[in-house]
Amino acid sequence: MVLEATMICIDNSEWMRNGDYAPSRFQAQADAVNLICGAKTQSNPENTVGVLTMAGKGVRVLVTPTSDLGKILACMHGLEIGGEMNLAAGIQVAQLALKHRQNKKQQQRIIVFAGSPVMHDKKALEMIGKKLKKNSVALDIVNFGEDDGGKTEKLEALLAAVNNNDTSHIVHVPAGPNALSDVLISTPIFTGDGEGGSGFAASAAAAAAGGVSGFEFGVDPNLDPELALALRVSMEEERARQEAAAKQAAEEASKEEKGGEEQDATMTERASEGASEADNKKIEIADDDDTSLQQALAMSMDEPTSSQDLQDTEMSDAAAEDPELALALQLSVQDSTKDSSSQADVSKLLADQSFVSSILASLPGVDPNDPSVKEVLASMQNQSEPQQKQDEDKAPKKEEEK
Amino acid sequence: MSAAESATAVQRSQVDLLDFIDWSGVECLNQSSSHSLSNALKQGYREDEGLNLESDADEQLLIYIPFTQVIKLHSVVVMGSEEEGPKTVKLFANREHMGFSNVSDFPPSDTAVLSSDNLKGKPVVLKYVKFQNVRSLTIFIEDNQSGSEITKIQKIALYGSTVETTDMKGLKKIEDH
Repeated sequence: MVLEATMICIDNSEWMRNGDYAPSRFQAQADAVNLICGAKTQSNPENTVGVLTMAGKGVRVLVTPTSDLGKILACMHGLEIGGEMNLAAGIQVAQLALKHRQNKKQQQRIIVFAGSPVMHDKKALEMIGKKLKKNSVALDIVNFGEDDGGKTEKLEALLAAVNNNDTSHIVHVPAGPNALSDVLISTPIFTGDGEGGSGFAASAAAAAAGGVSGFEFGVDPNLDPELALALRVSMEEERARQEAAAKQAAEEASKEEKGGEEQDATMTERASEGASEADNKKIEIADDDDTSLQQALAMSMDEPTSSQDLQDTEMSDAAAEDPELALALQLSVQDSTKDSSSQADVSKLLADQSFVSSILASLPGVDPNDPSVKEVLASMQNQSEPQQKQDEDKAPKKEEEK
Repeated sequence: MSAAESATAVQRSQVDLLDFIDWSGVECLNQSSSHSLSNALKQGYREDEGLNLESDADEQLLIYIPFTQVIKLHSVVVMGSEEEGPKTVKLFANREHMGFSNVSDFPPSDTAVLSSDNLKGKPVVLKYVKFQNVRSLTIFIEDNQSGSEITKIQKIALYGSTVETTDMKGLKKIEDH
Protein backbone atom coordinates (compact mmCIF):
# COMPACT_ATOMS: atom_id res chain seq x y z
CA MET A 1 0.00 0.00 0.00
CA VAL A 2 2.93 2.33 -0.51
CA LEU A 3 1.99 5.58 -2.18
CA GLU A 4 4.02 5.50 -5.35
CA ALA A 5 4.47 7.14 -8.71
CA THR A 6 5.84 4.69 -11.27
CA MET A 7 7.28 5.23 -14.74
CA ILE A 8 7.47 2.15 -16.95
CA CYS A 9 10.12 2.19 -19.66
CA ILE A 10 9.18 -0.06 -22.57
CA ASP A 11 11.65 -1.49 -25.03
CA ASN A 12 10.13 -1.28 -28.50
CA SER A 13 13.31 -1.88 -30.46
CA GLU A 14 13.76 -4.26 -33.40
CA TRP A 15 14.87 -7.00 -31.05
CA MET A 16 11.32 -7.25 -29.79
CA ARG A 17 10.09 -8.96 -32.95
CA ASN A 18 11.65 -12.21 -31.81
CA GLY A 19 9.24 -14.98 -30.93
CA ASP A 20 11.17 -16.74 -28.19
CA TYR A 21 8.68 -15.40 -25.67
CA ALA A 22 5.18 -16.38 -26.80
CA PRO A 23 3.65 -14.84 -28.88
CA SER A 24 6.38 -12.27 -29.46
CA ARG A 25 8.71 -10.47 -27.07
CA PHE A 26 6.83 -7.26 -27.56
CA GLN A 27 3.46 -8.80 -26.84
CA ALA A 28 4.75 -10.54 -23.73
CA GLN A 29 6.13 -7.21 -22.59
CA ALA A 30 2.83 -5.46 -23.22
CA ASP A 31 0.97 -8.07 -21.16
CA ALA A 32 3.40 -7.65 -18.33
CA VAL A 33 2.97 -3.87 -18.46
CA ASN A 34 -0.80 -4.21 -18.28
CA LEU A 35 -0.55 -6.47 -15.27
CA ILE A 36 1.85 -4.15 -13.48
CA CYS A 37 -0.36 -1.12 -14.08
CA GLY A 38 -3.34 -2.97 -12.71
CA ALA A 39 -1.46 -4.16 -9.66
CA LYS A 40 -0.08 -0.73 -8.84
CA THR A 41 -3.37 1.10 -9.18
CA GLN A 42 -5.16 -1.54 -7.19
CA SER A 43 -2.74 -1.67 -4.30
CA ASN A 44 -3.30 2.02 -3.62
CA PRO A 45 -5.90 4.08 -5.48
CA GLU A 46 -3.71 7.17 -5.35
CA ASN A 47 -0.82 5.48 -7.11
CA THR A 48 0.05 6.85 -10.52
CA VAL A 49 1.68 5.06 -13.43
CA GLY A 50 3.22 6.51 -16.58
CA VAL A 51 4.66 4.87 -19.69
CA LEU A 52 7.41 5.80 -22.08
CA THR A 53 9.12 4.05 -24.97
CA MET A 54 12.88 3.93 -25.21
CA ALA A 55 13.44 2.98 -28.85
CA GLY A 56 11.90 4.17 -32.09
CA LYS A 57 12.89 7.65 -33.15
CA GLY A 58 13.79 8.57 -29.62
CA VAL A 59 12.58 8.41 -26.08
CA ARG A 60 8.91 9.31 -26.07
CA VAL A 61 6.60 9.68 -23.09
CA LEU A 62 3.32 8.04 -23.99
CA VAL A 63 1.45 8.98 -20.85
CA THR A 64 2.55 10.98 -17.83
CA PRO A 65 1.93 9.45 -14.41
CA THR A 66 -1.82 9.05 -13.99
CA SER A 67 -4.10 6.84 -11.95
CA ASP A 68 -6.42 6.35 -14.91
CA LEU A 69 -5.87 2.74 -15.92
CA GLY A 70 -7.86 3.10 -19.13
CA LYS A 71 -5.59 5.82 -20.41
CA ILE A 72 -2.53 3.72 -19.74
CA LEU A 73 -3.93 0.64 -21.47
CA ALA A 74 -5.08 2.73 -24.43
CA CYS A 75 -1.66 4.17 -25.05
CA MET A 76 -0.16 0.70 -25.27
CA HIS A 77 -2.29 0.15 -28.32
CA GLY A 78 -0.74 0.67 -31.74
CA LEU A 79 2.85 0.92 -30.62
CA GLU A 80 5.39 0.36 -33.37
CA ILE A 81 8.54 -1.68 -33.15
CA GLY A 82 11.75 -0.25 -34.49
CA GLY A 83 15.04 1.42 -33.74
CA GLU A 84 17.38 0.78 -30.88
CA MET A 85 16.83 1.12 -27.19
CA ASN A 86 18.50 4.05 -25.43
CA LEU A 87 18.56 2.93 -21.80
CA ALA A 88 20.32 5.93 -20.29
CA ALA A 89 18.12 8.50 -21.96
CA GLY A 90 15.05 6.47 -21.10
CA ILE A 91 15.88 6.37 -17.41
CA GLN A 92 16.74 10.04 -17.32
CA VAL A 93 13.51 11.07 -19.00
CA ALA A 94 11.62 8.82 -16.62
CA GLN A 95 13.30 10.53 -13.70
CA LEU A 96 12.32 13.91 -15.10
CA ALA A 97 8.73 12.80 -15.53
CA LEU A 98 8.65 11.63 -11.94
CA LYS A 99 10.13 14.87 -10.70
CA HIS A 100 7.13 16.71 -12.09
CA ARG A 101 4.57 14.41 -10.53
CA GLN A 102 1.57 16.13 -9.10
CA ASN A 103 1.59 14.58 -5.66
CA LYS A 104 5.01 15.16 -4.19
CA LYS A 105 4.33 12.74 -1.37
CA GLN A 106 4.52 9.75 -3.72
CA GLN A 107 7.62 7.61 -3.73
CA GLN A 108 9.37 7.54 -7.08
CA ARG A 109 9.91 4.28 -8.94
CA ILE A 110 11.09 3.39 -12.43
CA ILE A 111 10.47 -0.03 -13.99
CA VAL A 112 12.69 -0.80 -16.99
CA PHE A 113 12.14 -3.61 -19.47
CA ALA A 114 15.57 -4.29 -20.89
CA GLY A 115 15.10 -6.67 -23.82
CA SER A 116 17.78 -5.60 -26.25
CA PRO A 117 21.55 -5.28 -25.78
CA VAL A 118 22.80 -2.39 -23.66
CA MET A 119 25.12 -0.04 -25.53
CA HIS A 120 26.27 2.11 -22.64
CA ASP A 121 29.28 1.19 -20.57
CA LYS A 122 29.17 0.19 -16.96
CA LYS A 123 30.55 3.50 -15.69
CA ALA A 124 27.84 5.56 -17.32
CA LEU A 125 25.18 3.27 -15.93
CA GLU A 126 26.64 3.50 -12.46
CA MET A 127 26.60 7.31 -12.64
CA ILE A 128 22.94 7.19 -13.57
CA GLY A 129 22.29 4.81 -10.74
CA LYS A 130 23.97 7.07 -8.25
CA LYS A 131 21.93 10.01 -9.43
CA LEU A 132 18.75 8.01 -8.99
CA LYS A 133 19.76 6.99 -5.49
CA LYS A 134 20.60 10.56 -4.57
CA ASN A 135 17.11 11.63 -5.57
CA SER A 136 15.60 8.61 -3.79
CA VAL A 137 14.21 7.00 -6.92
CA ALA A 138 13.82 3.20 -6.81
CA LEU A 139 14.53 1.14 -9.92
CA ASP A 140 13.19 -2.25 -10.99
CA ILE A 141 14.87 -3.93 -13.96
CA VAL A 142 13.32 -6.74 -15.99
CA ASN A 143 16.13 -8.42 -17.87
CA PHE A 144 14.74 -10.52 -20.71
CA GLY A 145 15.32 -11.15 -24.40
CA GLU A 146 18.86 -10.72 -25.67
CA ASP A 147 21.66 -11.78 -23.43
CA ASP A 148 24.88 -10.76 -25.10
CA GLY A 149 28.20 -10.29 -23.40
CA GLY A 150 28.01 -8.12 -20.36
CA LYS A 151 24.37 -7.10 -20.39
CA THR A 152 23.58 -8.91 -17.20
CA GLU A 153 26.72 -7.57 -15.59
CA LYS A 154 25.93 -4.01 -16.57
CA LEU A 155 22.39 -4.23 -15.29
CA GLU A 156 23.55 -5.73 -12.01
CA ALA A 157 26.03 -2.88 -11.63
CA LEU A 158 23.26 -0.38 -12.30
CA LEU A 159 21.11 -2.02 -9.68
CA ALA A 160 23.90 -1.99 -7.14
CA ALA A 161 24.42 1.72 -7.69
CA VAL A 162 20.72 2.51 -7.26
CA ASN A 163 19.77 0.10 -4.56
CA ASN A 164 19.00 1.67 -1.24
CA ASN A 165 17.74 -0.71 1.43
CA ASP A 166 16.46 -3.27 -1.06
CA THR A 167 13.90 -1.01 -2.61
CA SER A 168 15.22 -1.79 -6.09
CA HIS A 169 15.12 -5.20 -7.75
CA ILE A 170 16.29 -6.98 -10.86
CA VAL A 171 14.56 -9.98 -12.42
CA HIS A 172 16.11 -12.17 -15.09
CA VAL A 173 13.50 -13.88 -17.21
CA PRO A 174 14.86 -16.58 -19.53
CA ALA A 175 12.94 -17.57 -22.63
CA GLY A 176 10.73 -20.55 -22.07
CA PRO A 177 7.22 -21.90 -21.85
CA ASN A 178 6.19 -19.58 -19.01
CA ALA A 179 4.81 -16.25 -20.02
CA LEU A 180 6.76 -13.16 -18.99
CA SER A 181 3.86 -11.90 -16.90
CA ASP A 182 3.56 -15.17 -15.01
CA VAL A 183 7.19 -15.10 -14.03
CA LEU A 184 6.91 -11.49 -12.91
CA ILE A 185 3.88 -12.05 -10.71
CA SER A 186 5.89 -13.87 -8.09
CA THR A 187 8.69 -11.32 -8.02
CA PRO A 188 9.02 -8.36 -5.66
CA ILE A 189 8.29 -6.10 -8.62
CA PHE A 190 4.67 -7.13 -8.31
CA THR A 191 4.38 -7.88 -4.68
CA GLY A 192 5.99 -4.71 -3.47
CA ASP A 193 8.77 -4.64 -0.97
CA GLY A 194 7.97 -7.63 1.19
CA GLU A 195 4.34 -6.69 1.66
CA GLY A 196 2.91 -10.00 0.59
CA GLY A 197 1.11 -8.61 -2.40
CA SER A 198 -2.25 -7.10 -3.09
CA GLY A 199 -5.34 -9.18 -3.65
CA PHE A 200 -4.94 -8.63 -7.36
CA ALA A 201 -1.49 -10.12 -7.47
CA ALA A 202 -2.40 -12.98 -5.19
CA SER A 203 -5.43 -14.04 -7.15
CA ALA A 204 -3.61 -13.67 -10.44
CA ALA A 205 -0.87 -15.85 -9.03
CA ALA A 206 -3.40 -18.47 -8.02
CA ALA A 207 -4.79 -18.45 -11.51
CA ALA A 208 -1.39 -18.80 -13.07
CA ALA A 209 -0.46 -21.63 -10.75
CA GLY A 210 -3.72 -23.49 -11.32
CA GLY A 211 -3.41 -23.13 -15.04
CA VAL A 212 -7.03 -21.94 -15.15
CA SER A 213 -7.79 -18.90 -17.21
CA GLY A 214 -9.45 -16.91 -14.46
CA PHE A 215 -9.64 -17.66 -10.79
CA GLU A 216 -9.86 -20.75 -8.67
CA PHE A 217 -13.29 -22.40 -8.99
CA GLY A 218 -14.08 -19.97 -11.78
CA VAL A 219 -15.36 -17.50 -9.21
CA ASP A 220 -13.66 -14.19 -8.61
CA PRO A 221 -12.94 -13.92 -4.89
CA ASN A 222 -13.18 -10.16 -5.22
CA LEU A 223 -16.58 -10.20 -6.83
CA ASP A 224 -18.20 -12.83 -4.67
CA PRO A 225 -16.14 -13.66 -1.61
CA GLU A 226 -18.86 -15.62 0.14
CA LEU A 227 -19.36 -17.94 -2.78
CA ALA A 228 -15.64 -18.41 -3.21
CA LEU A 229 -15.31 -19.15 0.49
CA ALA A 230 -18.18 -21.63 0.43
CA LEU A 231 -16.66 -23.42 -2.53
CA ARG A 232 -13.26 -23.58 -0.93
CA VAL A 233 -14.73 -24.89 2.31
CA SER A 234 -16.73 -27.57 0.53
CA MET A 235 -13.65 -28.63 -1.42
CA GLU A 236 -11.64 -28.97 1.77
CA GLU A 237 -14.42 -30.81 3.54
CA GLU A 238 -14.64 -33.15 0.60
CA ARG A 239 -10.91 -33.77 0.67
CA ALA A 240 -11.02 -34.46 4.39
CA ARG A 241 -13.94 -36.78 3.89
CA GLN A 242 -12.18 -38.67 1.15
CA GLU A 243 -9.09 -39.12 3.26
CA ALA A 244 -11.15 -40.39 6.15
CA ALA A 245 -13.08 -42.59 3.76
CA ALA A 246 -9.87 -44.10 2.47
CA LYS A 247 -8.74 -44.88 6.02
CA GLN A 248 -12.06 -46.32 6.99
CA ALA A 249 -12.31 -48.38 3.85
CA ALA A 250 -9.01 -50.00 4.73
CA GLU A 251 -10.07 -50.66 8.34
CA GLU A 252 -13.62 -51.72 7.85
CA ALA A 253 -13.13 -53.72 4.71
CA SER A 254 -13.46 -57.07 6.47
CA LYS A 255 -15.82 -56.04 9.27
CA GLU A 256 -19.31 -54.73 8.81
CA GLU A 257 -19.82 -56.02 5.35
CA LYS A 258 -23.36 -56.91 6.07
CA GLY A 259 -24.04 -53.72 7.95
CA GLY A 260 -22.54 -51.83 5.07
CA GLU A 261 -24.88 -53.51 2.62
CA GLU A 262 -27.94 -52.65 4.67
CA GLN A 263 -26.89 -49.10 4.87
CA ASP A 264 -26.20 -49.11 1.19
CA ALA A 265 -29.78 -50.15 0.58
CA THR A 266 -31.15 -47.30 2.61
CA MET A 267 -28.59 -45.05 1.03
CA THR A 268 -29.84 -45.81 -2.43
CA GLU A 269 -33.37 -44.92 -1.36
CA ARG A 270 -32.19 -41.67 0.04
CA ALA A 271 -29.92 -41.19 -2.87
CA SER A 272 -32.77 -41.42 -5.33
CA GLU A 273 -34.71 -38.86 -3.31
CA GLY A 274 -31.71 -36.70 -2.99
CA ALA A 275 -30.82 -37.12 -6.63
CA SER A 276 -33.96 -35.35 -7.71
CA GLU A 277 -33.11 -32.49 -5.39
CA ALA A 278 -29.59 -32.53 -6.69
CA ASP A 279 -30.86 -32.37 -10.24
CA ASN A 280 -32.92 -29.33 -9.38
CA LYS A 281 -29.88 -27.77 -7.88
CA LYS A 282 -27.83 -28.70 -10.88
CA ILE A 283 -30.34 -27.14 -13.18
CA GLU A 284 -30.33 -23.96 -11.20
CA ILE A 285 -26.61 -23.86 -11.23
CA ALA A 286 -26.35 -24.67 -14.90
CA ASP A 287 -28.36 -21.53 -15.39
CA ASP A 288 -25.54 -19.70 -13.70
CA ASP A 289 -23.05 -21.25 -16.11
CA ASP A 290 -20.76 -22.41 -13.38
CA THR A 291 -19.35 -25.85 -14.07
CA SER A 292 -16.89 -25.82 -11.21
CA LEU A 293 -19.69 -25.29 -8.71
CA GLN A 294 -21.49 -28.28 -10.21
CA GLN A 295 -18.41 -30.37 -9.81
CA ALA A 296 -18.04 -29.41 -6.18
CA LEU A 297 -21.64 -30.22 -5.43
CA ALA A 298 -21.47 -33.50 -7.35
CA MET A 299 -18.40 -34.47 -5.41
CA SER A 300 -20.03 -33.64 -2.11
CA MET A 301 -23.02 -35.71 -3.10
CA ASP A 302 -21.04 -38.67 -4.40
CA GLU A 303 -19.85 -39.96 -1.07
CA PRO A 304 -22.82 -40.88 1.08
CA THR A 305 -21.46 -44.20 2.32
CA SER A 306 -18.54 -44.74 4.60
CA SER A 307 -17.89 -41.38 6.14
CA GLN A 308 -20.81 -41.36 8.56
CA ASP A 309 -18.71 -41.70 11.68
CA LEU A 310 -16.61 -38.78 10.71
CA GLN A 311 -19.77 -36.84 10.06
CA ASP A 312 -21.04 -37.68 13.51
CA THR A 313 -17.98 -36.38 15.25
CA GLU A 314 -18.02 -33.23 13.18
CA MET A 315 -21.66 -32.67 13.89
CA SER A 316 -21.45 -33.37 17.59
CA ASP A 317 -18.58 -30.94 17.95
CA ALA A 318 -20.57 -28.32 16.18
CA ALA A 319 -23.67 -29.16 18.17
CA ALA A 320 -21.78 -28.74 21.40
CA GLU A 321 -20.86 -25.21 20.50
CA ASP A 322 -23.87 -23.87 18.73
CA PRO A 323 -27.09 -25.83 18.45
CA GLU A 324 -28.56 -23.63 15.75
CA LEU A 325 -25.45 -23.86 13.68
CA ALA A 326 -25.42 -27.61 14.15
CA LEU A 327 -29.00 -27.82 13.01
CA ALA A 328 -28.30 -25.79 9.95
CA LEU A 329 -25.23 -27.85 9.14
CA GLN A 330 -27.07 -31.07 9.58
CA LEU A 331 -29.96 -29.99 7.45
CA SER A 332 -27.61 -29.02 4.68
CA VAL A 333 -25.75 -32.27 5.06
CA GLN A 334 -29.04 -34.07 4.92
CA ASP A 335 -29.87 -32.54 1.63
CA SER A 336 -26.59 -33.48 0.10
CA THR A 337 -25.51 -36.77 1.56
CA LYS A 338 -28.51 -38.51 3.13
CA ASP A 339 -26.57 -39.75 6.09
CA SER A 340 -28.68 -42.08 8.17
CA SER A 341 -26.83 -42.10 11.47
CA SER A 342 -26.40 -38.37 11.64
CA GLN A 343 -30.12 -38.09 11.36
CA ALA A 344 -30.32 -39.54 14.83
CA ASP A 345 -28.59 -36.43 16.12
CA VAL A 346 -30.83 -34.23 14.06
CA SER A 347 -33.88 -35.95 15.41
CA LYS A 348 -32.69 -35.31 18.94
CA LEU A 349 -32.45 -31.64 18.20
CA LEU A 350 -35.78 -31.61 16.47
CA ALA A 351 -37.30 -33.32 19.49
CA ASP A 352 -36.89 -30.12 21.38
CA GLN A 353 -40.29 -28.80 20.50
CA SER A 354 -39.93 -25.26 21.64
CA PHE A 355 -36.76 -24.88 19.65
CA VAL A 356 -38.37 -26.32 16.57
CA SER A 357 -41.51 -24.25 16.85
CA SER A 358 -39.43 -21.11 17.12
CA ILE A 359 -37.62 -22.10 13.97
CA LEU A 360 -40.81 -22.91 12.17
CA ALA A 361 -42.31 -19.63 13.26
CA SER A 362 -39.44 -17.84 11.62
CA LEU A 363 -40.01 -19.64 8.33
CA PRO A 364 -42.10 -17.52 5.99
CA GLY A 365 -45.60 -18.80 5.40
CA VAL A 366 -45.58 -21.26 8.27
CA ASP A 367 -48.19 -21.02 10.97
CA PRO A 368 -47.19 -23.01 14.06
CA ASN A 369 -50.86 -23.51 14.86
CA ASP A 370 -51.43 -25.20 11.55
CA PRO A 371 -52.71 -28.73 12.17
CA SER A 372 -50.25 -30.38 9.82
CA VAL A 373 -47.37 -28.68 11.60
CA LYS A 374 -48.73 -29.78 14.96
CA GLU A 375 -48.89 -33.32 13.66
CA VAL A 376 -45.31 -33.15 12.65
CA LEU A 377 -44.23 -31.81 16.00
CA ALA A 378 -46.14 -34.54 17.77
CA SER A 379 -44.65 -37.19 15.57
CA MET A 380 -41.20 -35.90 16.28
CA GLN A 381 -41.66 -36.65 19.95
CA ASN A 382 -41.73 -40.35 19.10
CA GLN A 383 -38.26 -41.50 18.45
CA SER A 384 -39.16 -45.08 17.61
CA GLU A 385 -38.37 -44.93 13.90
CA PRO A 386 -35.97 -42.19 13.12
CA GLN A 387 -35.84 -42.81 9.39
CA GLN A 388 -39.55 -42.80 8.84
CA LYS A 389 -39.86 -39.73 10.94
CA GLN A 390 -37.29 -37.99 8.78
CA ASP A 391 -39.45 -38.75 5.76
CA GLU A 392 -42.43 -37.17 7.44
CA ASP A 393 -40.38 -34.23 8.57
CA LYS A 394 -39.05 -33.74 5.12
CA ALA A 395 -42.33 -33.88 3.29
CA PRO A 396 -44.09 -31.24 5.41
CA LYS A 397 -40.98 -29.13 5.58
CA LYS A 398 -40.73 -29.10 1.83
CA GLU A 399 -44.35 -28.09 1.65
CA GLU A 400 -43.79 -25.35 4.17
CA GLU A 401 -40.74 -24.02 2.48
CA LYS A 402 -42.59 -23.81 -0.81
CA MET B 1 7.23 37.88 21.73
CA SER B 2 7.79 37.32 25.42
CA ALA B 3 5.10 34.71 25.44
CA ALA B 4 7.19 32.59 23.13
CA GLU B 5 10.29 32.55 25.31
CA SER B 6 11.31 29.33 26.93
CA ALA B 7 13.97 28.53 29.46
CA THR B 8 16.58 27.63 26.87
CA ALA B 9 17.16 31.05 25.33
CA VAL B 10 20.46 31.26 23.51
CA GLN B 11 20.66 34.91 22.82
CA ARG B 12 18.29 37.62 23.80
CA SER B 13 14.81 36.18 23.18
CA GLN B 14 16.08 33.47 20.86
CA VAL B 15 14.73 30.00 21.35
CA ASP B 16 15.78 26.60 20.19
CA LEU B 17 13.25 25.89 17.49
CA LEU B 18 13.34 22.14 18.05
CA ASP B 19 9.85 22.21 19.53
CA PHE B 20 8.37 23.80 16.46
CA ILE B 21 9.64 21.31 13.91
CA ASP B 22 6.87 19.36 12.15
CA TRP B 23 8.49 15.93 12.30
CA SER B 24 6.02 14.28 9.95
CA GLY B 25 7.25 16.39 7.05
CA VAL B 26 10.98 16.32 7.67
CA GLU B 27 12.91 14.91 4.71
CA CYS B 28 16.52 14.44 3.81
CA LEU B 29 17.79 13.53 0.36
CA ASN B 30 20.96 11.51 -0.09
CA GLN B 31 21.26 10.48 3.50
CA SER B 32 22.72 7.15 4.45
CA SER B 33 20.07 4.85 5.82
CA SER B 34 22.05 3.93 8.89
CA HIS B 35 23.02 7.50 9.65
CA SER B 36 19.88 9.50 9.25
CA LEU B 37 18.73 13.02 9.92
CA SER B 38 17.43 12.20 13.37
CA ASN B 39 20.98 11.73 14.52
CA ALA B 40 21.66 15.39 13.84
CA LEU B 41 18.35 16.99 14.74
CA LYS B 42 16.77 15.15 17.60
CA GLN B 43 17.32 15.97 21.21
CA GLY B 44 19.80 13.58 22.74
CA TYR B 45 20.99 12.14 19.47
CA ARG B 46 22.56 15.36 18.40
CA GLU B 47 24.58 15.67 21.58
CA ASP B 48 26.11 12.26 21.00
CA GLU B 49 29.33 12.59 19.07
CA GLY B 50 29.17 9.04 17.81
CA LEU B 51 25.85 9.59 16.05
CA ASN B 52 26.14 11.53 12.83
CA LEU B 53 24.10 12.35 9.80
CA GLU B 54 26.04 10.98 6.83
CA SER B 55 25.61 11.43 3.12
CA ASP B 56 25.30 8.45 0.82
CA ALA B 57 25.98 8.59 -2.90
CA ASP B 58 28.06 11.75 -2.81
CA GLU B 59 28.91 14.56 -0.44
CA GLN B 60 25.82 16.73 -0.92
CA LEU B 61 22.79 16.72 1.30
CA LEU B 62 19.40 18.32 1.00
CA ILE B 63 17.43 18.70 4.21
CA TYR B 64 13.84 19.91 4.31
CA ILE B 65 12.38 21.00 7.65
CA PRO B 66 8.78 22.24 7.89
CA PHE B 67 7.58 23.99 11.03
CA THR B 68 4.33 23.74 12.90
CA GLN B 69 3.97 27.48 12.97
CA VAL B 70 5.56 30.53 11.43
CA ILE B 71 8.94 31.39 12.92
CA LYS B 72 11.71 33.89 12.54
CA LEU B 73 15.12 32.34 12.14
CA HIS B 74 18.01 34.12 13.79
CA SER B 75 20.97 31.78 13.77
CA VAL B 76 21.95 28.23 13.16
CA VAL B 77 24.52 25.85 14.66
CA VAL B 78 26.07 23.13 12.53
CA MET B 79 28.56 20.88 14.21
CA GLY B 80 30.76 18.28 12.57
CA SER B 81 34.27 16.97 12.35
CA GLU B 82 37.22 18.99 11.04
CA GLU B 83 37.59 17.13 7.78
CA GLU B 84 34.25 15.68 6.95
CA GLY B 85 32.06 18.40 8.35
CA PRO B 86 30.15 20.60 5.93
CA LYS B 87 31.66 23.68 4.38
CA THR B 88 29.22 25.51 2.17
CA VAL B 89 25.70 25.61 3.48
CA LYS B 90 22.84 27.28 1.62
CA LEU B 91 19.54 28.02 3.26
CA PHE B 92 16.24 28.45 1.47
CA ALA B 93 13.16 29.72 3.25
CA ASN B 94 9.67 28.58 2.25
CA ARG B 95 10.69 26.46 -0.75
CA GLU B 96 8.81 23.19 -0.83
CA HIS B 97 10.08 19.93 -2.29
CA MET B 98 13.38 21.03 -3.71
CA GLY B 99 15.61 18.60 -5.51
CA PHE B 100 19.31 18.61 -6.22
CA SER B 101 18.57 19.70 -9.76
CA ASN B 102 16.84 22.93 -8.83
CA VAL B 103 19.04 24.16 -6.00
CA SER B 104 20.72 26.47 -8.47
CA ASP B 105 17.45 27.70 -9.96
CA PHE B 106 16.87 30.40 -7.40
CA PRO B 107 19.20 32.24 -5.05
CA PRO B 108 19.36 31.04 -1.48
CA SER B 109 18.02 33.17 1.32
CA ASP B 110 21.44 32.96 2.88
CA THR B 111 24.75 31.18 2.38
CA ALA B 112 27.22 30.26 5.06
CA VAL B 113 30.74 28.95 4.75
CA LEU B 114 31.54 27.15 7.95
CA SER B 115 34.80 27.67 9.74
CA SER B 116 36.29 25.30 12.24
CA ASP B 117 34.83 27.45 15.04
CA ASN B 118 31.40 26.96 13.60
CA LEU B 119 31.99 23.25 13.45
CA LYS B 120 32.75 23.25 17.14
CA GLY B 121 29.48 24.92 18.01
CA LYS B 122 29.71 28.63 17.35
CA PRO B 123 26.38 29.76 15.90
CA VAL B 124 26.21 31.23 12.43
CA VAL B 125 24.20 34.43 12.52
CA LEU B 126 21.96 34.73 9.51
CA LYS B 127 20.46 37.62 7.61
CA TYR B 128 17.55 37.97 9.96
CA VAL B 129 15.56 40.12 7.54
CA LYS B 130 15.39 37.25 5.08
CA PHE B 131 13.93 34.84 7.62
CA GLN B 132 11.07 36.84 9.05
CA ASN B 133 8.25 34.62 7.96
CA VAL B 134 9.50 31.07 7.71
CA ARG B 135 7.14 28.12 7.35
CA SER B 136 9.76 25.69 6.12
CA LEU B 137 13.51 25.64 5.80
CA THR B 138 15.62 23.84 3.23
CA ILE B 139 19.29 23.32 4.03
CA PHE B 140 21.53 22.44 1.11
CA ILE B 141 24.99 21.20 2.03
CA GLU B 142 27.07 21.64 -1.04
CA ASP B 143 30.45 20.30 -0.02
CA ASN B 144 32.53 19.43 2.97
CA GLN B 145 35.76 20.67 4.47
CA SER B 146 38.14 18.21 2.91
CA GLY B 147 36.27 17.34 -0.26
CA SER B 148 35.78 13.72 0.75
CA GLU B 149 33.03 11.50 -0.57
CA ILE B 150 31.00 11.53 2.61
CA THR B 151 29.84 14.50 4.62
CA LYS B 152 29.27 13.91 8.31
CA ILE B 153 27.20 16.20 10.49
CA GLN B 154 26.91 15.70 14.19
CA LYS B 155 24.42 18.39 15.13
CA ILE B 156 22.06 20.87 13.54
CA ALA B 157 20.33 23.36 15.80
CA LEU B 158 18.10 26.25 14.81
CA TYR B 159 17.58 29.33 16.92
CA GLY B 160 14.95 31.97 16.47
CA SER B 161 11.61 33.07 17.73
CA THR B 162 8.00 32.51 16.91
CA VAL B 163 5.66 34.96 15.30
CA GLU B 164 2.55 35.74 17.33
CA THR B 165 0.11 33.11 16.14
CA THR B 166 -2.99 31.68 17.73
CA ASP B 167 -2.36 28.50 19.63
CA MET B 168 -5.48 26.55 18.73
CA LYS B 169 -4.97 24.14 21.59
CA GLY B 170 -5.04 27.03 24.01
CA LEU B 171 -8.49 28.15 22.89
CA LYS B 172 -10.99 27.27 25.57
CA LYS B 173 -14.73 27.53 25.61
CA ILE B 174 -15.93 30.43 27.70
CA GLU B 175 -17.81 29.00 30.68
CA ASP B 176 -21.10 30.59 31.61
CA HIS B 177 -20.03 31.35 35.17
